[in-house]
Amino acid sequence: MKKVLALVLVLMMTMTAVSALADLVIVQNKVEIDAALQEYAKAYTEKTGVAVKVITGGGSSDYNTVLKNEMAQVRQPDIFVFEGPSGYEMWKDRIVDMAGAEWIANTSMAYTDGDKVVGFPVAIEGYGLAYNKAILDKAGIDPATLTTVDAYQAAFEKLDSMKAELGLDMVVSMVAGTSQNMTWVTGLHNFNVYLTVGLDRDDTSMIDGVLAGTVDEARFHDYCEYVALIFKYSDPDMLLNGTQDSQLAAFANGKAAFYHQGNWMDPSLVVLEPSFEIGYAPHAFLHTETDGILVNPPSWYAVNANGNPEEAIAFLNALANTEEGADYMVNKAGMVPAFTNVTLLPKGPLSVSLMNWNAAGKTYSWQQYKLPDGFGMGTLGPIYELLASGQIDEPTFEQLMKDAIATIPSL
Amino acid sequence: MTSKSKRKLTEGLFLTPTVLAFLVVQIIPFIYGIYYSFTDWTGTGAATKMVGLENYIKIFQDKGFLHSFLITLEFTILNVIAVNVIAFLISLLVTSEIRGRNIYRAGFFVPNLIGGIVLGSIWQFIFSSILPSIGQALNIAGLSKSLITNTNTVMFTMVTVNTWQYAGYIMLIFVAAIQGIPKSVLEAAEVDGAPYWRRIRSIQIPLMANSFTISLFLTLTNSFKMYDVNVALTNGGPTGLWSKTIVNSSELLALNIYNTAFKYNKMAQGQAKAVIFFLVLVVFSVIQVSWNKSKEVEM
Repeated sequence: MKKVLALVLVLMMTMTAVSALADLVIVQNKVEIDAALQEYAKAYTEKTGVAVKVITGGGSSDYNTVLKNEMAQVRQPDIFVFEGPSGYEMWKDRIVDMAGAEWIANTSMAYTDGDKVVGFPVAIEGYGLAYNKAILDKAGIDPATLTTVDAYQAAFEKLDSMKAELGLDMVVSMVAGTSQNMTWVTGLHNFNVYLTVGLDRDDTSMIDGVLAGTVDEARFHDYCEYVALIFKYSDPDMLLNGTQDSQLAAFANGKAAFYHQGNWMDPSLVVLEPSFEIGYAPHAFLHTETDGILVNPPSWYAVNANGNPEEAIAFLNALANTEEGADYMVNKAGMVPAFTNVTLLPKGPLSVSLMNWNAAGKTYSWQQYKLPDGFGMGTLGPIYELLASGQIDEPTFEQLMKDAIATIPSL
Repeated sequence: MTSKSKRKLTEGLFLTPTVLAFLVVQIIPFIYGIYYSFTDWTGTGAATKMVGLENYIKIFQDKGFLHSFLITLEFTILNVIAVNVIAFLISLLVTSEIRGRNIYRAGFFVPNLIGGIVLGSIWQFIFSSILPSIGQALNIAGLSKSLITNTNTVMFTMVTVNTWQYAGYIMLIFVAAIQGIPKSVLEAAEVDGAPYWRRIRSIQIPLMANSFTISLFLTLTNSFKMYDVNVALTNGGPTGLWSKTIVNSSELLALNIYNTAFKYNKMAQGQAKAVIFFLVLVVFSVIQVSWNKSKEVEM
């Protein structure tokens, strides 16, 4: 009797263990596409019989912490996301070279290391200052003219003076608060404006300078003035207390003329059904003309050598080369794929604007991901918050930023 | 086998699971942690090498850590006072003859059953949305802005939330102690004409001294190790300037250690901070317990 009981127990335990195991484990960092990816994974399982488990960390939970935890398990993830050189360097030993995989033929945005192809571009993403066309029209501002900081200064002043008439609460919907975990908007994305706007895509002079602890004085001064300008015309409470949702809501409900976020907000934006035309204007912080927005793959999928590389690559090939994959990326997740064979058009207005800028070839690259871990969000972000809360003025902001950058090598 | 040695064996066997678990999840990681604090460990399995005291030297040059240390002390002092005073007052309330005292007991205790993260998020909403709208509607200047984004009031919000959560738990300890005081002593004092406050001061409090030892120890260590409410309520923000350095004005020690290890990816340095944190906590709690023990009286 005892033996039978023990046998039943062992059977039950193995059964629960088996059902808890998946053939393919994906760890990714985009909370906004989690539902769509789960759904796609389910369809993929039905089609191929490969059980897929998706683990999402990110947004306000820390993706790198989640990833580290998963990588420390016995059952490691097969596919995981890395966001650039620091992520790649950290996991390099475990990342598989995918050279020769089917998906590579249709993209120019793969992450490469020498001859090795190591990253599958999750999407292309971009940001500028999104504008509400209806409000700009009413104020008599042509968004096409917003290519210098002087044009912005004039536009902001005009909109600010017409706030009541236009029903605006603020000119720019911008967030910078530590308590809501929004310092990536300032310390990473906004800081990248200084790093690349107006420069060629492969020009790395600014990031190289920052990594060596120096800045281009004149350019940096213009940049800091631009930050102060945006903050001046933002709502102080939104800056310190705003969340990703409240920032979006202010723009989508017509309470703000401009919105400082990227096209990854499209899925949430579409839900709010904005009744006006939306487009991107450049982050033109210089007095000379700059015309382009900031576009890059934000992250790449890597395949873990300690997992199941064959199944993982098959999954990625299917993602890039099947109709279901394209449907998931474009229609369900609202992303702009980095693959030329995908012809579907995105639904989100921000993504459409991004595609237009990209098609016109007017793009600047992202370099902020080359900053050391924690530097953008943890070290620079708080300085933006000091400026936003009025504890320091613009010249002090500039000085503190320079001081922080000067100490970068010792971090 | 004699019955004595058999008994020893049984005791040993019963202890084994707990001791094993304690070894595996407490002692071994703790020893590893001390070892890692002397290395350049990154947490990814890459080769590590010994770096001696370098991590510790870096910590003492880190003004942000010093700031976190000082505000943790500040938080601990405020929190220990707030929690214990309030818990003592409500324990007097719920042991008095008041109507519906069982409902009060349950009500004060319930917040303790809610997890810190949930609680932090709820209170963040209260402080950053509800209170400001009340403040604006009633034209109260102090309330019209979020108390969380103000460097001067953020500590107050943390103490409030933690007291709200923890006072009910400490109240239970006090209630048990108060109920353990013999009625005869109190009645004798009453007959002798001692007024209410005198009875509390000269009889109840001395006879409850051992429960103060426990409650102070619990609140002290709990405040020192505060993490969940901290991360969910303020996430260390807002940014402030402290002796010319940029600091996260509500980043307590545990959060500072977490951020060092995971945000800045300096695992070994975070570990070194954790070792210092442990030593400080041991010193403080030993002082507190021995001081409290000296105040305890026997019936």
